[in-house]
Amino acid sequence: MGDPHPKLHATDLTRGFGRPPHVVDALGPLELTVAPGEFVCVVGPSGCGKSTLLRIAAGLLRPSTGQLRIRTSSPRPAAMIFQDYGIYDWKSVRANVRFGLDVQRVPRREANARADAWLDRLGLADFADAYPAALSGGMRQRVAIARGLAVEPELLLMDEPFAALDAQLRTILQDELLALTQSLRTTTLFITHSLEEAIVLGDRVLVMSARPGRIIAEHHPPFPRPRTGEVRTDPEFTALKSELWDLLRKEAAPA
Amino acid sequence: MTTIAPKKEPERESVLVRRPGPEELHPSRTHRRRRALQLALAVAVPLVLLLWWQLAAAQGWIDDRVYPAPSTILSDGWDRAAAGDLWPDVWATLKRVLAGYALGTAAGYLLGLLMGSLSLVRAALEPLLDALYVVPKLALLPIFLNMFGLGEGPQIALVATTVFFFVWISTMSAVIAIPSGHRDAGRVFGASPWQMFRHVLLPASLPSVLVGARIAAGVAVLVIVASEQIAATNGLGHLIFDSRALFQNDVMFVGIVCVAVLGVLFSELIRLLGRLLTPWAPRDRGRGQS
Repeated sequence: MGDPHPKLHATDLTRGFGRPPHVVDALGPLELTVAPGEFVCVVGPSGCGKSTLLRIAAGLLRPSTGQLRIRTSSPRPAAMIFQDYGIYDWKSVRANVRFGLDVQRVPRREANARADAWLDRLGLADFADAYPAALSGGMRQRVAIARGLAVEPELLLMDEPFAALDAQLRTILQDELLALTQSLRTTTLFITHSLEEAIVLGDRVLVMSARPGRIIAEHHPPFPRPRTGEVRTDPEFTALKSELWDLLRKEAAPA
Repeated sequence: MTTIAPKKEPERESVLVRRPGPEELHPSRTHRRRRALQLALAVAVPLVLLLWWQLAAAQGWIDDRVYPAPSTILSDGWDRAAAGDLWPDVWATLKRVLAGYALGTAAGYLLGLLMGSLSLVRAALEPLLDALYVVPKLALLPIFLNMFGLGEGPQIALVATTVFFFVWISTMSAVIAIPSGHRDAGRVFGASPWQMFRHVLLPASLPSVLVGARIAAGVAVLVIVASEQIAATNGLGHLIFDSRALFQNDVMFVGIVCVAVLGVLFSELIRLLGRLLTPWAPRDRGRGQS
C-alpha cells in the first residue's frame, strides 16, 4: 500500500445507473490502490458492482463520480477476459488469439508467431486452425486467456473467467493461470465469486459489500510466491476461507 | 511492445484517467438533449424534404402538373375528405385488409403451431408450402378471380394468402425454437396438449409471431393496393390508378399519402397490441427484423 507509484489508483469512485430520480447506486464510494505486478482478487455477492469496477478500469464505462488513475505508457493498457469467453465463433483459434494484435496492426508474420507462441504455452497448438465451436469449454477459455495475454497488456482484467466451467476444470485452469501469472507478473484485477479461487490466485483478496459495492475487508493470503495449487490443502487456507465466508455470508444473504 | 507508439515521450510513463463524462456529470441534461435532438431529427428530415419539394414545384423546377406541390396535395386531400369523396375508397380498402388479415393470421397461426409441434405434419406440408411461399402472391390473383368472381372475394383472398405465409413461417420457426427444457418441464407435470399450448407454446412463441404479424400488416396494405389497381372498382389502389388515367395527379398523390398513413397506422397498431400481449418480451422496434 505504501507504494509511491501505484499502477492503479481509485479515489471516491462511484457508479450509478439510470437517471434521477430512479438512480440505482451500483458501486462505491470506493478507494483502491494496486501496486505494479500485484494480483488483486475481488470477491463479493452477486450484483455488488464487481463487474462495474472492472468495466470502469477497462474504459467500457465511466464512473459517476471520482476517478480511476492508471499509470501506463500506452493509451490502451488493458486486456479483458470475459466470463462467456467473448471469443469469436467465426475466427479460427489462431485468428482469435491474434485479434488484439490485428487491431493494433502488428504485421501478420509477427502476429502469427506471437499467437502461436501463446497457443503453445496454453497447450492449444494442435487446435490453431480449428474453430471455437469444436472446442470444449475449458479450451475456449484458454483461447480467451491467450487472446488477452497475446497483446502483453500492462493491466489484465478478468471478469469471473472460470464461472462457466465445471469444478474440476476450474481447479485445473486456476493452477495453469497461477503458473502463468507468476512468470509474467502482470498487474491483474480478478473478479470472482469463488473464495477458493481468490485465495489461491491473489496477492490480496478484497471483499466487497452488497450493492452499492464498497470494500469491507482486505486480506493477504499468507502463501509465499511462487505458490502452487497445493496451498488448497494448507490449514491456513481453510481458516482464511472460512473467515472470509463469514464476512461474505452476511452480504450475500438478503437482510 | 505494440506497434502504436504513444504520441509523446514514448519512454515515460503517463497517467490514464478514467473520469466521469458529461453523461455522468449531468445525466438528466444529457438525456434531455439527446431526446430533443432525436425528435428534432425525426421531424426535421421529412419536413426539409417536403419544403424542398414545395420550393421545387413553386419555382417550376419540376412540372407541377405531374408532381403537384405538397400544399396542393394537402388542400386537395382536405377538400375531398370534407366533401366525403375520400372515405368510400379508404373504407373499401380498410375492410378488405382487415378481413384478409384476420383470416390469414388465424390460418397461419394454426398451421404454424401444428407444423411446429408435430414433425409429421411438418414433413407432409413443408415442401408444398415452401414452394408456394416463393410464388408472388399477386400472380395468384387471376386464380382467385376465377374462383370468386369479381367483388370482394379475390381481394380478401389475396390479402389472406399473403398474410398467411408471413404468420405461418414466423409461428412455425418460433415453436420449433422453443427450448426443449420449457416443454420438458410441462411434460413431467403431465400437462395435457391444451395446457401445454396455453402455458408454454402460446406465450413462448407469441413474441416472434407478433413480429411476423406486424411485418405482415405492412405487406397486406402493399398487396391490397396492387390488387385494387388490377381488379376493383373502388379502394385506394383503384383511386390512385384511376386518377392517373384521368390525369388528376393531385388526387393520385392524395391516394398515395392515404396508403402510407394507413400502412403505418395498421402496423403500429399491431406493434402496440404486441406490447400489451407480451409484457415480458423485449420491445419490438425496427422494421426489417424477420
